[in-house]
Amino acid sequence: MMPPSTARRLCFLSLLLLLLLLAAAASATADAAAAEEFTEELLLRPLPDRKALAHFHFRSSAPPASAAGRHHHLFPKAISQLVQKFHISELELSFTQGRWNYEQWGGYDPMSTNNAKPPGVELWAIFDLPLAEIDATWKNLTHTLSGLFCASINFLESSTAFSAPRWGFKLNEGNLRYGALPREAVCTENLTPWLKLLPCRDKAGIASLLYRPSVYKGYYHSQKLKLKSSQSLGIILDQTLTVVLQPNTVSGKQLHSTGGQLQPSWSMEHLFSKKLSGKCLVSKSSRVFVEIEKGIVDNVDKAGSDVSSNNDLFVLSTAPDRSLKELDNLEVQSSSLYEYDVNNYNSDKPLNVGITWKLPLIWSCTRAPYHASRFLMGSGNERGSIAMSFLSTGLDKQLVDSSNDCSIKAVVFQVVPWYVKVYYHSLEVFIDGNSKAISEVVDKIHVTPSEDKLLPGTMEMLLKFPCSMQLATLTLDFDKGFLHIDEYPPDANQGFDIPSALVSFPEFNSSRSYPEADPLFVSPLLENFKEDGVVKSYTEVLLVPLTTPDFSMPYNVITFTCTVLALYFGSLLNALRRRIGEEERGLKKAGILNKRGLIPLLIAKLRGQKVDPSESESTSPASLPRSKLLLKVVFVAVVAIVFHYLSNS
Amino acid sequence: NTIACDGDGGSVRRASCFFPRFPTGMSLIPRAAPAASMAFAGRDPAVISLLKMLPLLLLLTFSSAAAPPAAASPSAVHNNNWAVLVCTSRFWFNYRHMANTLSLYRTVKRLGIPDERIILMLADDMACNPRNNYPAQVFNNENHQLNLYGDNVEVDYRGYEVTVENFLRVLTGRHESAVPRSKRLLSDEGSHILLYMTGHGGDEFLKFQDNEELQSHDLADAVKQMKEKHRFKELLIMVDTCQAATLFSQLQSPGVLAIGSSMKGENSYSHHLDSDIGVSVVDRFTFHTLAFFEKLNMYSNASLNSLFNSYDPSMLLSTAYYRMDLYKRALNEVMERYIYF
Repeated sequence: MMPPSTARRLCFLSLLLLLLLLAAAASATADAAAAEEFTEELLLRPLPDRKALAHFHFRSSAPPASAAGRHHHLFPKAISQLVQKFHISELELSFTQGRWNYEQWGGYDPMSTNNAKPPGVELWAIFDLPLAEIDATWKNLTHTLSGLFCASINFLESSTAFSAPRWGFKLNEGNLRYGALPREAVCTENLTPWLKLLPCRDKAGIASLLYRPSVYKGYYHSQKLKLKSSQSLGIILDQTLTVVLQPNTVSGKQLHSTGGQLQPSWSMEHLFSKKLSGKCLVSKSSRVFVEIEKGIVDNVDKAGSDVSSNNDLFVLSTAPDRSLKELDNLEVQSSSLYEYDVNNYNSDKPLNVGITWKLPLIWSCTRAPYHASRFLMGSGNERGSIAMSFLSTGLDKQLVDSSNDCSIKAVVFQVVPWYVKVYYHSLEVFIDGNSKAISEVVDKIHVTPSEDKLLPGTMEMLLKFPCSMQLATLTLDFDKGFLHIDEYPPDANQGFDIPSALVSFPEFNSSRSYPEADPLFVSPLLENFKEDGVVKSYTEVLLVPLTTPDFSMPYNVITFTCTVLALYFGSLLNALRRRIGEEERGLKKAGILNKRGLIPLLIAKLRGQKVDPSESESTSPASLPRSKLLLKVVFVAVVAIVFHYLSNS
Repeated sequence: NTIACDGDGGSVRRASCFFPRFPTGMSLIPRAAPAASMAFAGRDPAVISLLKMLPLLLLLTFSSAAAPPAAASPSAVHNNNWAVLVCTSRFWFNYRHMANTLSLYRTVKRLGIPDERIILMLADDMACNPRNNYPAQVFNNENHQLNLYGDNVEVDYRGYEVTVENFLRVLTGRHESAVPRSKRLLSDEGSHILLYMTGHGGDEFLKFQDNEELQSHDLADAVKQMKEKHRFKELLIMVDTCQAATLFSQLQSPGVLAIGSSMKGENSYSHHLDSDIGVSVVDRFTFHTLAFFEKLNMYSNASLNSLFNSYDPSMLLSTAYYRMDLYKRALNEVMERYIYF
């Protein structure tokens, strides 16, 4: 039987121990909740036109600053400093070369909605600041990004280069700024700093596959950085690189016994000249997905086999670790994903995912409701027209309703530089060849007209097309402006670019969900796919030839003017000062001209009177003006010397 | 903008405590003195003689005060190296100028200067140019053995940003406040700087992107500003253009060494044509300079003398010119200081 004091002490100690354990557990969970994470994923997809799509997705997340302080071990410090300094709540920066082929590669899936970007550089940002400070912050942001990514993003700083759309691009309260540089080149120097933001860079993990010549030989490559920052969730940084490549297989065009052409069989080694030999060790998860589109799945179903990694139409080179099926709105299986966990592979057993086709197959990807394209009309250097066409792709709006007032909404956002002076009142709409009144088609329109050398012209339009429409065309007239000679780029005769217009279809949702029973399977790539996103497509960049001046004219003008002035002043001074023949007569009289050299001649001239009188005939009438001349010359010389000395000392 | 002087005089900036910074272009000798002496010419001869001595006295004082900046270099120890590599030509047929600059970039990186200390200005994009059969690859030899672009190139000024204005801003350090650090030449009085320029040039000028020129006196003024602002200890300028030697004719700042690929009236020629890429891929002067550097590594002890001796006019088809009168040290000591730490 213990004495009561020791019992109390024991009680107290056990309580203390319990409290300590609880505190430790709490802090452990708090630490776990406040940790930085990095995941890397790669998605491969065969495309209908014998090409392959590779999509790299890297996500770094940092907890809110108050919890973690300023020390980062995975998250790139440059980005967190950027977010804090410029008060960014959302930012997207993309570098793209090539055009996304909406007809062949699809326009309805999350890949084309999120990763099909306009050529060149596109930057938009939403700031968490009072509206008056946003323009100055945008300017500093463009400079910082230009230093960070080795690109000329600083050209977006001036007000002629960016715009502030309210609802045409993304709904906001005026704190969004958007700018695009269509002619910006994208090369290795942009990829280098982008890769340096990753914890393993390109030394380990999925990023080690990026063989630069392969990436830049592709038909389309787009690297993108997307930031989201909030007080509660911290900063989430998504870096994606989307490449469309032609796999370099030896058997390029095989003919199958049935007479059709087989699609090229490729593997990761064909695409990148390397195999994947392990994951980045600090990444939370590292996965490779192979996506088999709905078109192929339908063909497999039609052929009668079940959709597994080895069926009658194709076989994957390695057995996947998991297979996910996408369920669309009607709970029907459309595309499927095969997942490989890179954790199971290392340098002894590298991962080389590939697909081999057994039977010839043709399929198509789902497209957006309309194929939007843009082109220029007119000729000459004075005026022209921008035309935008919407061609129906046959995607019925069967899910909504088939009544007579069925309509499809489209939102158009377009920024035109100030030297292409668009007349917004000249907007005309033609539906299936018939001209329609603007009020029938345009539901809402917001225009910020351009101001010379100050602002570009921004247009946001909400259009309503009838469902049965085949082709709609919008035209806008413009006048070509004149630039100051300093404002022309060095290759002015190439022309000037109008950045891509964005067409979005708000009633169509491009999200995809892949239900998975395993709660531990968390994939940021699939989370992005699941997010609600409207179907978007970018039109072409337009090249407008403007009048260029004759750049050699300033040189010509200077040369002509100086020649004329020199001739004028020269002849004037000659006419005023020179007496032709008088010098010779004077010297002949002095008798020196024929006898001595130049220096005695000059000395004799200056002396004037002091010439040997035996040789001179009559010097006295000429002596007085001569001495005056001498005095004047000496005076002018002295003044000149003094002035020269004073001005050059 | 005067610099605050600390009392102990131990700081190397002590020289500037003796006189305030004059705006550039003005000399240190006050102009008023000679005129004053002339104005008093008719008066007391003693005053006259004193006034005549005044400018001389001032000159002496200021020159003795000016001597410490030049003599500050012994007290300023060489502690970092910078490289500014400029390619001023655009368009595909000027591929060789890009290859020249990238060759120097690769050499300089290989021999120890990191990307943070290199300012690379390329006026056009050749590696990912649609006309390039080898995307992301730039070669300086038709054997295609060496990809100059590599995996880790960082270009600071690109495309339309390579202008005379930006070049002079980089040299003199006078940027707008928003310009990021990676685009600034952050050198100090202990820096050795390599400035390499290539493109099309002529008598006393260098052409920038077909619509601008950098003239020899612009360059000389910029170097003079750099010297006054203590932005370098020693500067090596290498220029590979036609009539390159004329670009240095106005230089007067001490501590500057200049190498040009040709003399006045001579052209600099390209080395060979790559029939696969379709254009000439390197210039002769740079080709031979590189041939010299490729034999070196970080621990070699070569000197500038040996570089000069390696230039053979019959191979270059022009006379390589070097200007050494502004440079005080013996050339056989020079090489290590520039490239290695």
